[in-house]
Amino acid sequence: MTKPLKHSLLIILLAGYTAFAAGPFVWVAIMSLRTTSEIMADHFALPTILHWEKFPIAWFNSNYNVYFKNSAMIVLAAVAILTIVGAMAAHCLARYRFRLNRVIYFVLFSTIIFPPQITIISLFQILVQYGLYDTRVGLTLVYVAIQLPLTIYILESFFARIPNDLFDAARIDGYSEWEIFWRVSFPIALPAIATTMILNFILLWNEFLYAVVLITDDANRTLPLGIQRFMGDQLEDVGMIATGLMIAIVPVIIVYAFFSEKLIQGMTAGAVK
Amino acid sequence: MAVVTLDRLTKIYERGHAPAADSVNLEIRHGEFMVLLGPSGCGKTTTLRMIAGLESISSGTLSIDDRIVNGIPAKERDIAMVFQSYALYPHMSVKENLAFGLRRRAVPRDEIERRVAGVAATLGLTPLLDRKPHALSGGQRQRVALGRAIVRDPKVFLFDEPLSNLDAALRVSTRGEISALHRRLGATMIYVTHDQVEAMTMGSRICIMNGGKVVQVGEPLEVYRHPANIFVASFLGNPPMNLMPAVVSDDPGGRALRIGAWSFAVPAERMPPLPPNTNVIFGIRPEKISVAQAGGTHIEAEIVQVEPLGAETIFASRIAGVEKPVFARVGPDVAVKVGERRRLGVDLAAAHVFDADGKALHP
Repeated sequence: MTKPLKHSLLIILLAGYTAFAAGPFVWVAIMSLRTTSEIMADHFALPTILHWEKFPIAWFNSNYNVYFKNSAMIVLAAVAILTIVGAMAAHCLARYRFRLNRVIYFVLFSTIIFPPQITIISLFQILVQYGLYDTRVGLTLVYVAIQLPLTIYILESFFARIPNDLFDAARIDGYSEWEIFWRVSFPIALPAIATTMILNFILLWNEFLYAVVLITDDANRTLPLGIQRFMGDQLEDVGMIATGLMIAIVPVIIVYAFFSEKLIQGMTAGAVK
Repeated sequence: MAVVTLDRLTKIYERGHAPAADSVNLEIRHGEFMVLLGPSGCGKTTTLRMIAGLESISSGTLSIDDRIVNGIPAKERDIAMVFQSYALYPHMSVKENLAFGLRRRAVPRDEIERRVAGVAATLGLTPLLDRKPHALSGGQRQRVALGRAIVRDPKVFLFDEPLSNLDAALRVSTRGEISALHRRLGATMIYVTHDQVEAMTMGSRICIMNGGKVVQVGEPLEVYRHPANIFVASFLGNPPMNLMPAVVSDDPGGRALRIGAWSFAVPAERMPPLPPNTNVIFGIRPEKISVAQAGGTHIEAEIVQVEPLGAETIFASRIAGVEKPVFARVGPDVAVKVGERRRLGVDLAAAHVFDADGKALHP
């Protein structure tokens, strides 16, 4: 096969994949600027009039400003706690020899095998007992709990690859274990830490199941629950759902665009030279 | 400058297992360059790490300048260490790497600047100060690692096989740099290596270790010329000393040995008189064997392998009644061919005799 032919085939393949991946997004983006009646008339038509006003309507009249603020507070707090606690736990499990190290590691990691349907009733009960049901703090703690094992798993494997000599050198340079974590381990593991931050942010930003079970008050709802509000039993306001989705998706795109380089670094990082 | 004293220093990692370092007794004097030499797993790195405070001490005492430091953490021992992997912090520039230890010790900022600049100038690192370690060559990284130790101006320098990741040419020049550094600073340095050339060329004294124990301590040439046992004899020198089982014959004097059909008398200054039929091990360095001229002690041998190295030629030969090949190191102009039989001259004035357990016998 000649080189130009190979090249064109590759372009066609990539274009096809891009259309497949980005198509639904573009479709929702277009629908977010059309009204529900326009969409019902023709699902795939381009907008004749751009209904930008739908965004302020969703934001102010449909409480999206509250949902957005709730989502931001809960997810950012959960990601911050996950990052710090997860990195510290991973550093300890990777770095220090102590009894039951591997047992703790496998117990932590094994919890990811339980599907949410199994744990959610007991979680509900626990939150009710501690007065955390239907609170943002409660949902934040649940998010930390469900994502911590995977965070530790990803970070532990990265921390374990940092050569021990670096820690010994820092010890001889006069640093305490606490300082070594913050000044040596943490900065070196930044690509992996950024990876877990993005993964956790995207997963939790879109999280629906725990939120719908553990939050009822409209003032505490997160964005995915807000979108659900447009889905009635008899009628679905498709146009507003699309607008809500666009509001919800923008932070994810911004976070991904901002951190994508770090994400790739984290996924491809080899042993530290 | 400092005196480091190891008194029966022992490290046991797991109960029931052999100690990694077993009752190590050693005194490293003021300004001395002590090389801990031995094969992999001999306990030299464990001993160094105990001195550094990176490994706990199972028993025995470790003192620096008469102060017992067993329970004192690494950061309070005033030592610096250069690691085999360099251990440069990858997220910091060369300058930050050099200053990292000083910053922790609350050295004033302008003093840090001055010391870092001074060390960088000495080691030729000034143009590289803003680079990260991944943008440096192996030799440059090694110099940064050295600089990081020097800038701290510690009492004791520890080196853990610092040259093993360098290529051969760079190793020779860095060897020279470390020796020059030792001369200039006059500091106490402890250097771990498995490379006998490094040990012979750099050390004020060598401490040879095997199986966690100290086997022999002495100046390089003294250890080379008077090995305490067959381990040291065969570890130092390349090719190592030829060792052959021998029996004391019943000739008068008790210094006549028999190896197969070959009989010869060892000079009185090289061995004590022994009763007939005593089993001993006869040792001779390859450079003490020559292709024989007329006269002297000689033996017939068949050449089995020749390695002309340019400056010298090393050959292996088979001697009747000796199981292992006997190596010889001769001048480059000596022509030897594989398969030919030659008379080899043996300089018995340089002979070594060990008892059946491998311990050197002295007259």
